[in-house]
Amino acid sequence: MIVAERKPFDEISDLLAGYDKVLTVGCKTCVAVCLAGGEKEAALLNKELMLARKVAGKPVETCAALVERQCDMEFLAELDDIVDQYDAIVSMACGAGVQFMAERYPTKPVLPGVNTTFIGVNRDVGWYEEKCRSCGNCLLGVTGGICPITMCAKSLMNGPCGGTNQTSCEINKDQPCAWYAIYQRLAGQDRLDNILKMTEIMDWRNNVPRTIVQPGYEQRKAAFSDK
Amino acid sequence: MNADKKIIQIATDVLVIGGGTAGVAAALEVAGQGYKVVLTSKEDKVAQEAKDGAVADLTAKAEANANIEIMTNTVAADVKGVPGKFEVTLKTGDAAVEKTFGAIVVATGLTTTVLNDAYGLEMGPKVVSQSELEAMLAEGKLEAGKTVAFLVGFGQEGNPLVMQRVLDSLTALTKVADTDAYVFVGDIKLAADGLDALYAQARQEGVIYFKTKETPQVTVGDAMTISILDPVLRQRVEVQPDLVVVEEAILADEDNAALAVPLEIEADNNGFLQPDNVHYFPVKSTRLGIYLAGASRDLLSFEQGLEDAGNVALEVKKFLGDGNLEVPSNTAFVDVDKCTVCLTCYRCCPHGAIYWDSRAIIAESACQGCGICASECPNDAIQLGDYADDAMAQAVKDGQGSAGKSPWIVAFCCKNSGLEAMKMAKAFGYRVPAGLQAIEVPCAGKIDMDYVMDAFVQGADGVMLLTCHNGNCKSDKGALYASWRAEEIKKMLAAVGMPEDRLVCASLANNMGRTFSEISVELERSIKKAGS
Repeated sequence: MIVAERKPFDEISDLLAGYDKVLTVGCKTCVAVCLAGGEKEAALLNKELMLARKVAGKPVETCAALVERQCDMEFLAELDDIVDQYDAIVSMACGAGVQFMAERYPTKPVLPGVNTTFIGVNRDVGWYEEKCRSCGNCLLGVTGGICPITMCAKSLMNGPCGGTNQTSCEINKDQPCAWYAIYQRLAGQDRLDNILKMTEIMDWRNNVPRTIVQPGYEQRKAAFSDK
Repeated sequence: MNADKKIIQIATDVLVIGGGTAGVAAALEVAGQGYKVVLTSKEDKVAQEAKDGAVADLTAKAEANANIEIMTNTVAADVKGVPGKFEVTLKTGDAAVEKTFGAIVVATGLTTTVLNDAYGLEMGPKVVSQSELEAMLAEGKLEAGKTVAFLVGFGQEGNPLVMQRVLDSLTALTKVADTDAYVFVGDIKLAADGLDALYAQARQEGVIYFKTKETPQVTVGDAMTISILDPVLRQRVEVQPDLVVVEEAILADEDNAALAVPLEIEADNNGFLQPDNVHYFPVKSTRLGIYLAGASRDLLSFEQGLEDAGNVALEVKKFLGDGNLEVPSNTAFVDVDKCTVCLTCYRCCPHGAIYWDSRAIIAESACQGCGICASECPNDAIQLGDYADDAMAQAVKDGQGSAGKSPWIVAFCCKNSGLEAMKMAKAFGYRVPAGLQAIEVPCAGKIDMDYVMDAFVQGADGVMLLTCHNGNCKSDKGALYASWRAEEIKKMLAAVGMPEDRLVCASLANNMGRTFSEISVELERSIKKAGS
């Protein structure tokens, strides 16, 4: 899932300076699961805002709402009736949700409430670890299910650098060396030959805004886009 | 728990895992209370260890009991569900059956590992472990006329169970003709029923003990020798044994760790299934409906395992009763439209009361109404009876203006501690701020960060979070969650420009009325000081 962190209050407060009616919208999916932008966090942010404005003598009116997924226009549409009542919207969704919301309401300032940080896993309540950089060319099939793009500090594609210290990385002794882990995993599965499969360097030019159309949906997209 | 109750139906069959003596005895005791019992053993029989015929009696009784179904070569491969309705997959070889139980008794055994490395010894026909000697004695394989030397207490910290085995073997040895026995002891413990008598009896029979700090030097070969510096004689003593018996460490069953996961109970650092916490004595686990007999919970003897069996039956009866379980009608409730199955509630619940089936489900039989889940849920999808979010917000609102000219202090009080302490403070005439508004919560774990922030937004001058002492919380971690949340709220207050000391989080026992008074008066004083 996508993992995000709540922005520092000061930053959000600055973004909202001058707006006296604020709609804060949580997103029910990834950012709720990672405890950054669900209904509870949206309500809490509003309380912080009200308290800060109270202290400053500039009261603010707030409302908290929750949307199933801010990355789907149909769910965003549920806000259509109330958006006009507010001067600004704080979206607690990931960067995709914020942008889709801004696209839906182009005349309203739509401001981010969280910093979208990575694609990761949930180790325990409130504890997440990055696992994927969405590079667009998944190598996990030959790297024993360990991503060198994400887990290697240099995103090396063909074995460790000279900074490997057996188990750890030169950047930090607590950071495991991705290629050491890959070697161990492959050796344990008797698949060490995979490590010799030379992989060409990543074509980072693919990191332009990407669009994916799932197989079987090309015609639908063409029909939709023509409209 | 809260006042309103209702009755729900639960299963009353009981699963006993472990076919050792404690397991068989527990099965008998539980069946004796009228419950149907399935007794599983991973071995091909139950209660193999024999002692004075007691085990044979138990096993015969269990086999003859119509309420007990014995399943040998069987393991509990998976456990789902909740107390009162555990769905257990029992695997016998490749065959699997699923059965429903209201309660589970874990009666795993102990395992041993020989400590020959501590003596630099290799095991062989003349160097045997305590277990090997016991087998030889049981099978009558120890020849007459031998000299046997025991090494014990140099490879581990002493334990009465370790010594009991040695002394039992000595008792058996002295019955074999012309046997000489020497016991070299280091760090040993005899503090258990009857061990002193066994020690004395063996001495009377001619067994010789050497107590020394130095690990005996053992030479192995055709003529074995054990040599020590005798601290009494102050000279070297040498014994030429025919057989050397090496002590064994007695450890928790290796199966415990694997069982703890599906059972959702916590093992201690030594692999036993009961934490060192008086709340769990004598046979409770960290989860309702799961009980521990004998060595599954601690390093316990055969006799102690038998005592546990009776206690287990009492606890099982207390929980299962006649299958009609009275539960609070105020258990937590999940709004399935809001739940996004983030698993936060499942992971936070200290009672193992939450599971999921496309959305989180809270088991009425297991929910204790603490509200930790409700206050951690990121989507406010869980509401708890009388303590639902809107009711709590209303309670704060109702207090608005009640303080008059005094500072308005909202005190969220755990009803087990803070609330009682406040009542005591008032009853004893200790000073309590005029503008103090106490709001009851079922556990400090129910004090939502949003409630506290809301109180400040509504105009409260100060907020108190009053919890039980950490480690004394009936919901185990409620006080801890409250203290963590208080730290976060302080950061928020700092960020919005409010003095952090307007929030006080303190732990109280229910008889600490004076402390309640002191804390609340101090908060009032600091508010007044800042205002002046």
